[in-house]
Amino acid sequence: MTTKRITIDPITRLEGHGKIEIFLDDQGNVANAYFQIPELRGFEAFCVGRPAEEMPRITNRICGVCPEAHHMAATKALDALYHVEPSSAVKKLREMFYMAFYVTDHTTHFYALGGPDFIVGPDAPKAERNILGVIHKVGLEIGRQVIETRMRNHHIIQMLGGRGIHPVAGLPGGWAKAISEEERGEIEAAARKNVDFALFSLQAFDDIVLGNPEFVDMILSDAYTHRTYYMGTVDANDQVNFYDGVIRVVGPDGQELVRYPAKDYANHIAERVVPWTYLKFPYLRAVGWKGFEDGPDSGVYCATPLARLNVSEGMPTPRAQEAYEKFYETLGSKKITDRRYAPVHHRLATHWARLIELLFAAERMLELSQDPEITEPNTRAEVHTTPDEGVGSVEAPRGTLIHHYKTDPNGILTHVNLIVGTTNNYAPIAMSVKKAAQSLIRQGVIITEGLLNRVEMAFRLYDPCMSCATHSLPGQMPLEVVVRDARGDVVARFSQHLN
Amino acid sequence: MNATIIIGLGNPILTDDGVGVLVARELARRLAHRPDITVTEASVGGLRLMELMAGYDRAILIDAILDDQPPGTLTRLTLADLNARAAPQHTASAHDVNLPTALAAGRRMGLQLPDDIIIFAISVVNVLDFGDHPTDAVSKAIPAAVQAVLDSVFSPYAASLSLPLNTEN
Repeated sequence: MTTKRITIDPITRLEGHGKIEIFLDDQGNVANAYFQIPELRGFEAFCVGRPAEEMPRITNRICGVCPEAHHMAATKALDALYHVEPSSAVKKLREMFYMAFYVTDHTTHFYALGGPDFIVGPDAPKAERNILGVIHKVGLEIGRQVIETRMRNHHIIQMLGGRGIHPVAGLPGGWAKAISEEERGEIEAAARKNVDFALFSLQAFDDIVLGNPEFVDMILSDAYTHRTYYMGTVDANDQVNFYDGVIRVVGPDGQELVRYPAKDYANHIAERVVPWTYLKFPYLRAVGWKGFEDGPDSGVYCATPLARLNVSEGMPTPRAQEAYEKFYETLGSKKITDRRYAPVHHRLATHWARLIELLFAAERMLELSQDPEITEPNTRAEVHTTPDEGVGSVEAPRGTLIHHYKTDPNGILTHVNLIVGTTNNYAPIAMSVKKAAQSLIRQGVIITEGLLNRVEMAFRLYDPCMSCATHSLPGQMPLEVVVRDARGDVVARFSQHLN
Repeated sequence: MNATIIIGLGNPILTDDGVGVLVARELARRLAHRPDITVTEASVGGLRLMELMAGYDRAILIDAILDDQPPGTLTRLTLADLNARAAPQHTASAHDVNLPTALAAGRRMGLQLPDDIIIFAISVVNVLDFGDHPTDAVSKAIPAAVQAVLDSVFSPYAASLSLPLNTEN
């Protein structure tokens, strides 16, 4: 069969160097679509032989986007490695730090990455589909609030993490930074503003996205829908938690498949190798690999904000819970238990789920800032045991993040394995890209930049951090789209540097 | 006196990618006595990089660049150059927005951002392997890069300064 090839190289507004390739058949329909990213090499070899307690500081260098998530997963892996249970005050301090990080991260995604497609429009010129375009469209005040929210929370992250960008506070069983009453008050004030900002953002989503029938149709369309398993961390009440809990997996119908503590991850997650990329595709062992397929017989799972809502019996904070109920009611989902709805499978709704998580993070940060234990001055633990092996996990904004270390009795690393957030979603991303391409690019359709952007939207909704997934760092993002005919000749080319 | 921030960009555990950070660490040592000059390191781009510069009159960035020049080549770029050629490794994080857009957004929102932004880009070859040390040609470029930044920092009013610019030469 002859095919022609469309290349989106690399994908704009995502971490690292990504590339989407779309192969057309003789009729001009999509035969297949792939995404590819370069793999970094030698992370385990780099770590082996180093003292394990360096890992919170090493792994937070993996990525410039979510160093806080790696820092926290590494710190929790050290808790397990050294068999030391953090005090309740330490857990709360860590979680409060982590909530401030979530507020900045989810805010950035909505206003700078995912949101511009809706706020400025999916077919708007690429140069306008960014935060400047957002400001132009909805006003300077929103932009100011975005920047203020980021700066306010970066300040808290620096206060609690010991450094502004690459935190250093995590210790086995402890947290190096206790807070004064004055600092607590500052955090509480920031958290209140965060709650207001999150409510404002949800209202903006309501007005701009839900208020536009074209966008609602797009969200509900089959092009952006997949029925897979979902994964996320839940607390003792089976509600969303980013810092700690058990990992729960539910099927496309919402029924629980399995729940397990992070340390058992290898019993539940396997990785599939395919010929066209170095990436390995995680899948659920209990279900098995059936290819890039939807449905209950395929072990493909998704770990995103949407997934976390789908596995949970609601949100632990009141306003986020209201937003959660509205989300499922609006999208036509039925309750399957007293508290939980059948999963929403519309992947573009992930943007909405992310804002509900933003509100939860803000409310949780406020709760923690008002907790009587939060100013406990003793936040270090004594470590007496011999280290051997430890697994730590958190919900990173982009999915369940696992750090697994083994050491010799002196605490020198002998084995390191990470499953980073985006990795969980490789198979769903591949499926979403292909389905969107197949739905949108058909025989006779003129391939425009706007059309290809709609394919990219299927990718972008996962907020994939390719730098993290490949252990790489943000690079330049020129976009090159090459359309080739059946003989391989270039018939159209879109080329642009992101500047 | 005008406030200057010097930012070494890159990942210090990704072989050549960390060269900007290594240059910044040496500059931090040499400029420790200057309260008007902040030297820092970061592996961020876009909005976060813009936010780091807020409040300063002048910013100097040092970053790795993957281009066609021999490894270790030092290139001085302005923001306008970023638009005309391949951007250095970290000024354009696609996770948020690229630096010129971020700066434009920041200015529109009333942040005080430096008008004077210079980027020193060091050509590199290996940003895919984890490692503490840059490759040889890139390592060898570090002293010259440090000196070039110092020259750039002091050139406008070098006559009024008596600083140990050449302590290692």
